[in-house]
Formats: sequence, structure tokens, C-alpha cells
Amino acid sequence: MAAAATCGTSAGNKGCTAAAAAAAGGKNNVTSFQRKGPRASVPDSGCARLVSIAGTRPSVRNGQLLVSTGLPALDQLLGGGLAVGTVLLIEEDKYNIYSSLLFKYFLAEGVINGHTLLVASAKEDPADILQELPAPLLDDNCKKDFDEDVGNHKTPESNIKMKIAWRYQLLPKMEPGPVSSSRFGHYYDLSKRMPQELIETSKWHGFFFPEKLSPTLNIEPCSLTHGYIKLLQFIQNVIYEEGFDGSNPQKKQKNILRIGIQNLGSPLWGDDICCTENCDNSHSLTKFLYVLRGLLRTSLSACIITMPTHLIQNKAIIARVTNLSDTVVGLESFIGSERETNPLYKDYHGLIHIRQIPRLNNLIYDVSDVKDLAFKLKRKLFTIEFGGETFPNVKI
Amino acid sequence: VTASKGAGQGSRRTLEMESVWGLGGLVLLRDSVEWEGRSLLKALVKKSALCGEQVHILGCEVSEDEFREGFDSSINSRLVYHDLFRDPFNWSQAGEALPGGPLGALRALCRRTEPGPVTIALDSLSWLLLHLPCTTLCQALCALSQQHSPLGGSPPVEPVRVLGLLHMELHGPGPMGALSSLAQTEVTLSGTAGQALAHILCQRPRQHPTHQTQCFSILPDFSLDLQEGPLLESQPHPDPHIPPVEPTTHLTFNLNLSKKEREAKDSLTLPFQFSSEKQQALLRPGPSQATSNIFYEPDVYDDLDQEDPDDDLDV
Repeated sequence: MAAAATCGTSAGNKGCTAAAAAAAGGKNNVTSFQRKGPRASVPDSGCARLVSIAGTRPSVRNGQLLVSTGLPALDQLLGGGLAVGTVLLIEEDKYNIYSSLLFKYFLAEGVINGHTLLVASAKEDPADILQELPAPLLDDNCKKDFDEDVGNHKTPESNIKMKIAWRYQLLPKMEPGPVSSSRFGHYYDLSKRMPQELIETSKWHGFFFPEKLSPTLNIEPCSLTHGYIKLLQFIQNVIYEEGFDGSNPQKKQKNILRIGIQNLGSPLWGDDICCTENCDNSHSLTKFLYVLRGLLRTSLSACIITMPTHLIQNKAIIARVTNLSDTVVGLESFIGSERETNPLYKDYHGLIHIRQIPRLNNLIYDVSDVKDLAFKLKRKLFTIEFGGETFPNVKI
Repeated sequence: VTASKGAGQGSRRTLEMESVWGLGGLVLLRDSVEWEGRSLLKALVKKSALCGEQVHILGCEVSEDEFREGFDSSINSRLVYHDLFRDPFNWSQAGEALPGGPLGALRALCRRTEPGPVTIALDSLSWLLLHLPCTTLCQALCALSQQHSPLGGSPPVEPVRVLGLLHMELHGPGPMGALSSLAQTEVTLSGTAGQALAHILCQRPRQHPTHQTQCFSILPDFSLDLQEGPLLESQPHPDPHIPPVEPTTHLTFNLNLSKKEREAKDSLTLPFQFSSEKQQALLRPGPSQATSNIFYEPDVYDDLDQEDPDDDLDV
């Protein structure tokens, strides 16, 4: 299990199973104990139990298959990554600047790993969203950019050699950044766009809601679940036709579907929870999330949703939405708030609140101990650090 | 647009206004009972008419004559007026009223196909909010201000500017928040003692929102006059009665050392400290580092007999 866990590619996994089969075969000559299971008999179909898909890895805690969110620091906070079949809900910051960054990181990670993308939005055309994905930082040439970005804020005290804990000088300041494409999480350069050829070779489906609205709509408001119904049907069609739920068992390599839904719950989707407190159809969003989670659990997909919860008037809906999602991360930016002038927060652009972490096939949560997390957007990177009241200026 | 006194600063401010103006998209003019915004709306309409753009006006709150009052004939001839005030529910059926009511009028504006930059003035958004469901209005505004070309794929080249007059007291936080999230620029009108102030919150795509305050006045012929004034830039000032938060005040340990304290700290010999050569040898990962060495200095009470470790037990 441990050996297979480190194999990220199918070729590597084949090697592992071949070795296991050889070992098992070798042992069979000596002892009478037979190893049961498909491993010894079928060395080339890949392990039946472990799904070896590019860009995924099993969790070290409970073996759950994880995908990267595109931001390795966020992966670390969520316990290794986002579990396949779950929903990551991002509560948007006030001007939707940083949440759209996380959304793009998620999609960019899908492009790099060769996953299929499904992008749904009511405001922007999905093709435009894909044009704005950040470029990946790859191995050598960008390592110096990464270091220069990180090292800019070195405080003067850190240059003094440590006198008591001098062995810690051997430790690297940050984890090594730029990576080859077989690694789990990647780093991205926000100042550059993803190369066009990478986007073109990726497979994606777009759902732009204003196009799906029928032009002959009459004056009566469309049923509130109209947009959501169409989106659910679209997602279901893609999952079924492309075989993400195992319905068309093909010989080709299994892949992950990454679904990204932007600004869910905003009035542009036809939902009025942001407009009034006592809305007529306050359950349409919760029903949507329930059905979506059912679709995700039965397929190899992961979903990111950004939601403008600061606009939702009825706070009970926010609580219900949080319960219906698996992982919930809230972003609070300091723009325009009084925290902008607070000296505690002068290095940061906002706070990250990990509001909920799922308990999947598990009895305990995988929550990090520190609750004060702050983020800052540097010129090229989005970093998350312990910040604020408890630990000023300590990097993860 | 004329800038009065202080040519340098005035021209800088007009440049900022021009860049805000050139953004396009939805511009919300939020007025209140104390300071009305229709005159600013008419001034902006006149400005775009003078620039040669097409101007469409959806009039709901005041009659067409009242709106056109104050404009000279050259400007009046450039305005295309869609009148919803006279017969909003199409009762007269004389064929003059706009078919489809307010929503039909908005959709018709979306479908116009003449090329060139265009300004659409909605007088007022409050009236539309009261007559249409908020979600439908938001969707229509988004479609209006984005104007995707029918060919698809190519970005819209001409900026479409939608000016919406919104009366702040009439609406709750829900619709106001929903419209603010759609708007590229929000201008909130206020004023003191005869001087009009505009707080402009401008959200360029993928950039931080910028906040400016601008004094202005509207001349009788609806020209906009930007003025010098207290130009307060972005940050909210901390309340002077509350002292700024100093994080190191209530700690139980001392983070700031004086020079003497620092010297005393540096000259202190630490226990278990060995020479710096040994330290450097350990720090430098060399080939000799393959086997780790344990440096042990036996204590007085240590038992050195390796043979029988349980010798001192009473068993």
C-alpha cells in the first residue's frame, strides 16, 4: 500500500503491481499460503482496488482518493487535498477578487493534470474564464522567480545565525516550489496566462446560463429552479456521456471531472436569496446542492462552488448551505474594512476561515489546530500563513 | 467637462473621471431625499451626447417633456427616448406604448444592433425594481451591459454604458447589494451646504476597487463642473478616539530589547554550548556526515558496566 501510494502515474503503478506479482509468485514456490485477489493473476490491468488516475493520490489518513485544489497550502489545510466526490464551497469575499483566484487555481490544476473540466457561470463566458487561467511554474527557469517572491519579506532578525536552535538552519525556509507535472500540487504564476496550447489540448465543457435561457421567455419570472435544473441536467449529461460514473465501461484511462460553478446563488442564476429575506423559493439552492452532491458521490468528480454569501439575506440559508457542502472555506478581504489600517494585518490582504471539513468514512475530523489563517496576494503567488493575533508573521 | 482652478490637480482629476467614464458597464447613481440625482444623470447624458455616442433613455418616472427640459435642440435630437411614463401598462392600446412593458423595453434595448459606443440611461432603476422581480432585472442589466456580439467569441469592442438612477431609501439591503455586485461603478451622492459630493467606487475587472470623492456642481445647462475640494482617497481613517491597536502591549514577555539588554543577552554563555568549529562541522553536511556521531560525557552517577545493566536492581 505504501509503495503503491507513491506511484502517481499508471506506468509506475504497473511496475508496482508487477513487482508485487513477482514477489507473490516467488513466495508461492516456498510456502503453501496463496495470496488471494486479482493482483497475482492479472498484473497488467492495474490494481483493481487502487484507482491510478493522473493527478490524484490516496489520503495518508484514510485512503480516500484526493485531488489537489491547485494551491498546495490550501491542500495542506484541508488534510492533503480535496476528496473526489465532494464539494468545496468558497464563500466569496466582498468584491469577488480572491475567490475567483481560487476558482482559477482549481481549473488550472485540472488542465495541468489532464482532467476534464466543466465550467458553469451566469456572468462570464466559460471560454473567457479559461483564457485567464494562470500559467504553471515549471522546474528550472521559474525557480528563481519563486525564490525572489518568497525572499522579499525576510525580516532582519532571520539573517542572524541562531544561537540556541542552530540545527534549524539546515531546514529549508519553504517547501521547494516548481515541480514537474507528475507531482500532486502545482504552483502557478499569476502574472502570466496559461499557454494557449495547454488550454486547447484540455477537454472542457462550458455552461453559460444566459445562453441557455430561452429567448422567448415571457414576463412571469422563470421558476427559481429553472437555472439550477438546467445546470444539473447538463452536469448529469456530461457525467453519463463521458463515463465518469462508470456507466460506459471503456478500456480507456479513467479520468476525473472537475466542475467549477461560479457565483452560485446570485440573482443572475434566477435565485432571489440575495435580494430578499423571505424569498418564495428558499429551498431551491439547497435542493440543488443536495442533488449535486448525489451526482458527485456516484462519479469520479470534484466540484468547486463560489457563492456570494455576504449578499444572502437570510442567515438560515447560509447555515443550511454549509451543512450541505462538504468542505467550506470562507474568504474575508480587508478592502474597505477597518482592519485595513490595523497594524496586525498590515502584511495581509485578508483572512481565510476554514469553516467545515468533511468527515468521510471516518469518525474524526482532520482539522488543523490553528484557526487564525490569513492570506496575501503577492505579485505572482497567493500564499496562506498563520497570521493575525496568535502568530504574527509565521509562515506555514 | 470643465475643470475650475488649479489646472494641474484639476486635470488629474478629470483624467481619473475620464478613465472611470471609459470603463463602461453599469454605473449606479445612488441618490437620496437630501440630494437628488436626476440632474447628474442628465449631465452625464449630455456629456455622452456631445461625444457623439448614441443615447437611449428609458423614461419611467418623469414625463418626456420634463426630461428633455434644459437640453438644447442639438442634444435633444440625438436622444432616443423610450417612454414608459405615459402608459406603463399599455392600456391605451394606441400603439404608441412600448410592447412588453418594462421588461420588453429592456430586452429591445439589448437587441439593438447599431454599431458604435452607446449610453443607455435608465430613469429610474428604482421604478424598474418596484415593477420587475429583482432577479429578472439583474439578468437583463447584465445582458445589457455586456452586449455579447452575436458572432460569439469575439469580445465586444464598443463599450456599452448603462446609467441607472437608484433612490437609496426605497430599497432594502438585499436589492442594493445585488445591484452593487453587478455594477462596475457606483456613485453615491451626498452634499453639505450647497456643495455636492460624489463618492465614486470603481471596480475595474480583476483589480482592487478604488474609492474617490469628487466635488462637483451642475450648471443650468446641465454641464458637469468638477471642482477642487477635499479629495479624500481610499483608506477609511481610523477613529481618532480609539488609539491604534498595538499588538505588543499586553504580552507577558518582552519583544523589544534595549541595546544594553541585547548586549547582555549576547554575552550570556549558554549551557551545553560547544565550540563553534564543532557546530560548523555539524552544520555542514559533508561526506563524514553519513554516520552520525554521539558525543557522550559520562556523569558521576553513571553506571559504566556494560555487562549487567540490571546490577543495581533488588530482584
